[in-house]
Amino acid sequence: MTAAAPASDAVRMRGISKSFGGVQALRGVDLTVRPGSVHALLGENGAGKSTILKILCGVQPPDCGAVAIFGERMSEFTPEAARRLGVAMIFQEMSLIPTLTVAQNIFLTREPRTGRFLDDRAARAQARALLAQLGVDIDPATPVSRLSTGQKQMTEIAKAVSQNARVLIMDEPTSALSTAEVDHLFAFVDRIRRGGMAVLYVSHKMDEIRRIADTVTVLRDGTHVLTRPIADITLEQIIEAIVGRRINAFAHRARVVDRSGPPLLELRGLSGQDKPREVSLQLHRGEILGIAGLLGAGRSELARAILGIDPPVSGSILLHGRRVPCGVPRAAIGAGIALIPEDRRTQGLILEQSVFANLTLPTIDRLSRRGFVDDARASAQAQDLIARLRIKVASPSLAVKTLSGGNQQKVVLAKWLAADPDVLVLDEPTAGVDIGSKGEIVELVRAAADSGKGVIVMSSELAELLSLSDRILVMSGGRVVRAIDRIEIDEWSPPDTDPVDRISLAERGLQHAIQESQRDG
Amino acid sequence: MAEIVKGAPTGPARRRALPPDWRQYVVYVGFVVIFVVFAVTLRDTGFLDPNNLLNIVRQTTMIAVMAVAMTFVLSAGEIDLSVGAVAGLASVTTAMAIAAGGPVVGVLAGLATGLLVGLINGGLTTRIGMPSFLVTLATLGIARGTAMWISQTAAIPVLSRGFNFTFGSGNLGPVPVLLVWMAVFAVAGHILLRRTGFGRKVLASGGGEVAARYSGVDTAGIKLRVLLLSSLAAAVAGMLYAGRLHSGRFQLGEGDELSVIAAAVLGGTSLFGGVGTVIGTIVGALMIGLINNGLILLGLDFSQQLIARGVIIILAVAIGRQK
Repeated sequence: MTAAAPASDAVRMRGISKSFGGVQALRGVDLTVRPGSVHALLGENGAGKSTILKILCGVQPPDCGAVAIFGERMSEFTPEAARRLGVAMIFQEMSLIPTLTVAQNIFLTREPRTGRFLDDRAARAQARALLAQLGVDIDPATPVSRLSTGQKQMTEIAKAVSQNARVLIMDEPTSALSTAEVDHLFAFVDRIRRGGMAVLYVSHKMDEIRRIADTVTVLRDGTHVLTRPIADITLEQIIEAIVGRRINAFAHRARVVDRSGPPLLELRGLSGQDKPREVSLQLHRGEILGIAGLLGAGRSELARAILGIDPPVSGSILLHGRRVPCGVPRAAIGAGIALIPEDRRTQGLILEQSVFANLTLPTIDRLSRRGFVDDARASAQAQDLIARLRIKVASPSLAVKTLSGGNQQKVVLAKWLAADPDVLVLDEPTAGVDIGSKGEIVELVRAAADSGKGVIVMSSELAELLSLSDRILVMSGGRVVRAIDRIEIDEWSPPDTDPVDRISLAERGLQHAIQESQRDG
Repeated sequence: MAEIVKGAPTGPARRRALPPDWRQYVVYVGFVVIFVVFAVTLRDTGFLDPNNLLNIVRQTTMIAVMAVAMTFVLSAGEIDLSVGAVAGLASVTTAMAIAAGGPVVGVLAGLATGLLVGLINGGLTTRIGMPSFLVTLATLGIARGTAMWISQTAAIPVLSRGFNFTFGSGNLGPVPVLLVWMAVFAVAGHILLRRTGFGRKVLASGGGEVAARYSGVDTAGIKLRVLLLSSLAAAVAGMLYAGRLHSGRFQLGEGDELSVIAAAVLGGTSLFGGVGTVIGTIVGALMIGLINNGLILLGLDFSQQLIARGVIIILAVAIGRQK
């Protein structure tokens, strides 16, 4: 340590480097967080965010560089040392004990006592005072198992505050919260910020960053890219800094779809056991058809029925005007339909097996001659897909579970692009994927449609549906209740408005349409 | 055997990426260690005598043949407990058919026995959705009972010299025919699992049944086929027993299912599917044969052999799993 860091900085990290094996996770990164501010830490998966958080909460020591908390140098890197200095991390997987009450959890291992005995009443009183001071309306006698996810999170923060936390780390805190809970949490975070807390906030969600953060820092490939007040930077600039290049995935790109010819795919009154119910639709070459609807509207069920994973009970599927046998996935795939399923971890991938094995599974018969796999061709196919889709993996023989969410999803997409289907059905194609991969996946889907494939996208992310779709069908209770053409969307969001405003205007329009059709259905 | 398990590509990428995970090779190390220990402690009893070593091969072939097929069954996420009983039943049906119609009819009868049980096992598992553990536990009893019943618990002699030579008793020069059988199953099994689309689909079905189905793999068909394969291999093993002992008996193959499953698991095949290696299985089978032989030469009685064998298997698997 050369000079004492100014005490005014809550967190002061200088020249932090860290490598794992041969991989340099961080290269000389500086990070300064001021007290009373919310500092957003952004970057793609693998950019070094989690490494820097781990160093800050003492889970791992840096290879070189110095860390100071409120001017006090962190001399040893253990979770206990970090906690002593006032660094607390709010875990995504809650570290509360569900069977104990809120008060018992807050004071776990530090319970107030009278003589040798625990004093639960004192604990409750202290907890109540603490929660009131933080402006949280939770009865400290409630068992944690009865709290909502948002309330659990606030309890956890209250626990950290009671341990004199001065620096709070929140990693994707809203991923399991409802909209109302997010509002609550943000109001709460705002209050503790005013109280002088330094908050380091990690999220992929740009709208949240805009709402809550004062300052942003972007990391890319283990290096510091920029730190700036949120007011001085646009959304596009942030995304560009994260990804390292311009991405226009989030604005809709007008595409010309020729609907004059016969449809590529036609569903006639397709019904499943419960859902879908009598769904009829037409999909043309080069068209991207979005399917919107609330949870339980039957979007995934429709996807599974088309592929035949859940055999339909009535109706028919026509591809190129020819009937596809219903309820036989192999037949649907053979005819040229591919499904990128909702849950990549169980439905899309065999996690324990290699990237190579996963990439070649749907096409294994095509890669075989008289039953024998042509290793050279299979290997070439895998390498080609990895290069084309820019899948980040050191070697195709690594297990697919070692990849980040975005790269795993690219593997699912790649294995089906290799099969060269005519119709691509995507169910939540970018769920749980970082923003860079999200943009790339959106571009890949557009490219597939541009090459003449028909694409159906089911998504709960309205921005994604709006940026991709040429037409959107709204489902409710298993039925298609409304069709929305591009023209209508453009009426909600006139082209001459600011691009960012346009996206939110269009989102609001679609949200409204979904809720309205819910009421009618 | 990581490349089998994970279906890695050929080419430079493979060499770069494979970490030398010693646990995958524990069966090979264990085999060598046990061999060396026996070679030293049993040097006066003729353990290293070529005849004794060939005897180990002869005693192990039936287990190895069934274990190769079991590798597919386990890799596909299923299990087959009926193999020993099917071997016994096939030895009886083969012997009876040879007496009635000659060796060719005998072989066909043996294979038909395997085919029938395999269809029952596979059909009930994949069409009705019964767990293969229960189905094959039931057919174990049915096959053993049928063998007792039709043979009236008597040994049925096999008098065909040609059959006895081909299925177990013969030697090609210094090489026992049984060694040839083992080698054929090992090579064919290895290629089938490692180099064919079928093998990949087997590993996919066991590694992630849902994802395999979403990928267009007919997982039910694959599971039916591996259970069929297992019963057919058990029938072949039964014929090898019959040829070696010149008779068909209902007791043949009794308890083999445990040795067979142990051989595959020792070799590195996962009981939970998705991971399998035929070469490992063969070494696992030879290791069990080696242990049996060594324990006999050590002069342990049967009860002690059972205990020692159990302990050795637990040790081998535990070492392989230790983190």
